Amino acid sequence: MQSAAKVQNNEANWPPEEGEIISFKSSTGLETVILKEVRWGLVWRDFILEDGRVIPEHRISGCPQPPVWRNIDEVSDYEREDCEERLLAMAEARLDPRTRDQPFWAELNQYLAFTYLRFKQTGRNLQDTGR
Amino acid sequence: MSGSDQETEAQQVCRVLSEAGLVEIRVDEFAERIREVKRVVVVRLHELLGFETGIKERESAASSLGTLKGLELKVLENTPKPPDPSET
Repeated sequence: MQSAAKVQNNEANWPPEEGEIISFKSSTGLETVILKEVRWGLVWRDFILEDGRVIPEHRISGCPQPPVWRNIDEVSDYEREDCEERLLAMAEARLDPRTRDQPFWAELNQYLAFTYLRFKQTGRNLQDTGR
Repeated sequence: MSGSDQETEAQQVCRVLSEAGLVEIRVDEFAERIREVKRVVVVRLHELLGFETGIKERESAASSLGTLKGLELKVLENTPKPPDPSET
């Protein structure tokens, strides 16, 4: 079990920087790879690997629990529309979202999570609308 | 409820998405998940039609619904067809 000091240290150094070696759970087991880039999606951060695969932050070893996700209100209309355009373009190009850890899979996953959170019925939504 | 029992907002969001199967969508479940999210948007849109305010959210919901329908069609179109038993 990690000590509180160790956990705090991990969180202070999170997320890892470009070029660092990271580990994550893939379908074949634990993989160690070089991180190319960390990018925010509509809900969570995606870790882009040197080979082009896109891994959601929560699958990376050492990710703080619960992971830090965006509040959906932070996402601008422009950002959402941009994402929708990219998704439709990838679908038009006949990319297959069922290819795990690829950009279409990753982006569609986040878009569905974001849209679900945005429109899932809550009392707060109704009150806001009724104002 | 004690502090340790209380679910933080972040934990609640994680739980809601996990229960909906949307944190890590299984590769064979995309069409099903799109349909489920579409259903949520339709329900919300229906509610919004009952309000005189919320025009922006209504337009936004309609736009998201259009995107989801487009994505669903493409995903289904690109789904490999099962072998036709009559051809064997």
